Amino acid sequence: MVRTQELRKYFSDSKKSVVKAVDGVSFTALPGQIFGLLGVNGAGKTTTLRMLSTVLTPTSGYAEVAGFDVAKDPAKVRASIGFMSNSTALYGRLTAIEMIRYFGGLYGMEGARLKDRIDYVMDKMQIESFADRLCDKLSTGQKQRVSIARTILHDPPVLFFDEPTAGLDVVTSQTVLEFIEEARTLGKTVIFSTHIMSEVERLCDAIAIIHDGTLHGAGTVAGLKAETGEATLEQAFLRLVKFERGQAALQK
Amino acid sequence: MTSPIIVVLKKELLELSRDKRVRTSAIFGPTFLILILLFIFGSVIGSLGKPQGQKVHVVKTNSLILEALKKAKFNVITVATLEEGQKLISSGDARVVLDIHEPQNGQIVIDGYLDPKQQTGEIATSMVQGLFSEASKQGLKKFLRMNNMPETVAEPIKFNRHEIQVGAKGGAGEMIVGLLPYLIVIWAFYGGMSVATEMAAGEKEKNTLETLLITPVPRTKVVIGKWLALSTVCFLSSASSLVGLAIYALARPPGSDQLFKNGLGLTTVSAGIILLLLIPLVGFFASLLLAISTYAKNVREAQTFLSLASFVVLMPAMFSQFIGLTDFASAKWVNLVPILNTANNIRNALLGKPDLTGVAITIATSLTLAAIATWFTVWLFNREEVLVRV
Repeated sequence: MVRTQELRKYFSDSKKSVVKAVDGVSFTALPGQIFGLLGVNGAGKTTTLRMLSTVLTPTSGYAEVAGFDVAKDPAKVRASIGFMSNSTALYGRLTAIEMIRYFGGLYGMEGARLKDRIDYVMDKMQIESFADRLCDKLSTGQKQRVSIARTILHDPPVLFFDEPTAGLDVVTSQTVLEFIEEARTLGKTVIFSTHIMSEVERLCDAIAIIHDGTLHGAGTVAGLKAETGEATLEQAFLRLVKFERGQAALQK
Repeated sequence: MTSPIIVVLKKELLELSRDKRVRTSAIFGPTFLILILLFIFGSVIGSLGKPQGQKVHVVKTNSLILEALKKAKFNVITVATLEEGQKLISSGDARVVLDIHEPQNGQIVIDGYLDPKQQTGEIATSMVQGLFSEASKQGLKKFLRMNNMPETVAEPIKFNRHEIQVGAKGGAGEMIVGLLPYLIVIWAFYGGMSVATEMAAGEKEKNTLETLLITPVPRTKVVIGKWLALSTVCFLSSASSLVGLAIYALARPPGSDQLFKNGLGLTTVSAGIILLLLIPLVGFFASLLLAISTYAKNVREAQTFLSLASFVVLMPAMFSQFIGLTDFASAKWVNLVPILNTANNIRNALLGKPDLTGVAITIATSLTLAAIATWFTVWLFNREEVLVRV
């Protein structure tokens, strides 16, 4: 389970003014559920995920991942999560198998357990055919499969996906999305951050709409549509973030 | 369970072993650069120290002096007139022009014409002077003997030079002793510089750092694993320059006898001391390089910062080339000056007279700096604004 309560992250910019990247976000994601964080670029989704994965320390508020407080038990939180982002790269001078083995070592796995898990993820993600190829030489789709293998190697109960399909072709995106759906059936808690409405409608059991660092709505897709009286998620989203026609042109 | 430090170290070393830059700039570069430098220095010094092949222009004469010059294996070139010889000096085609006069009252006067700004002219002139001053001395002694007079009259003040053996026998010549510590020290820095940028700034840029940070491994252990890998590269780079030196000393190409008058003369103790001095120094350099790489936003920024930092390393290292010309070489406080202290103690070891107290102070100083720099790197690695800023 992932639970946040009034989670905040403020940064100071070069002019010493305060930037409220995340300001009082609260939600709960349950095991066996894909929870979507929906928002435009710069809304605060990645900062939220970085706090949940203990890369950033919250300015205030509370966050709990797999039963551990992110502020008090960061090491336990990190051992319980898998994190994948489209921007996450692989080590180019390692082969696919070396890359996976390295992360196994970092998660304290070795011996028969490591071998079993490597065999499992290699089979699962169909990596065998290019396991001994340097990551630099892999295609985008192959890289993404290695990334997923690295993410699930230690069998974490909580998975974070930060815009995992951004920039990917249709076929590779499909592999990623299918994998996320499978994670749900395995009872994982999945936090899925995106700005692509179709993916949210396909995958998410519940969503939170984040805009300018604050929560503008939460619930199921159907519930949010009903609440706003809009026919599509896109329209519901625009209404919730108080988007007005012409505003986009002005912002440009 | 395998320590995460070892896991990180093994991965970094595996990646580095596949990095062309490590092979070229950290291993083969120092080895071949030292070999080439020593070969050039040996050839130049070898040719400077001997009259053989030294070009000397002589204004046309029948004097026996001409034969004496040829016998001493000078490369004698005859010119028709003094004016012609002077033109050759002006154009840089002649080093020295000798105008040998007819003997008068038992004395042969030789006028030597040279451009004092041209070093080769000065060298050729001093060799000719040396040849004839010795011949004059021998002639005078012969004359004194024939007239039953004591030979000592020819040399009213005699200076005897006595060499005292300090430290081990053998050892490198002063020329090479000035150069080698400098090269050994700077290679420890430059060898690691090319790869340090990748270790933290490169990971930020490629977005691999975040995946590393969300593993349960404490950041201190990540830093130590990376630091050990970088220290290994710095050490290998520095040791490669020693390998180049050893290859040169064993191959003994022409001119090597001028650089290593009594062979390499590096005892096991001296070699051990050099390695002992290098270990904490590479530790210090590795932490410094890693701290800069961690602080930088990206590889480009890291390279800019490292270029500036290299000057800080270069200055004391450069001074080590000239320290032998001053009394500082034996001053105790020098052992407290970072980088210079290591270079100076390597110099003493190469000379075969290591100062054990100085070595101990130097190692302690380098270890302290390495510890401070490593602590600082760990501190940076725990600063989220440093790690996630882009």
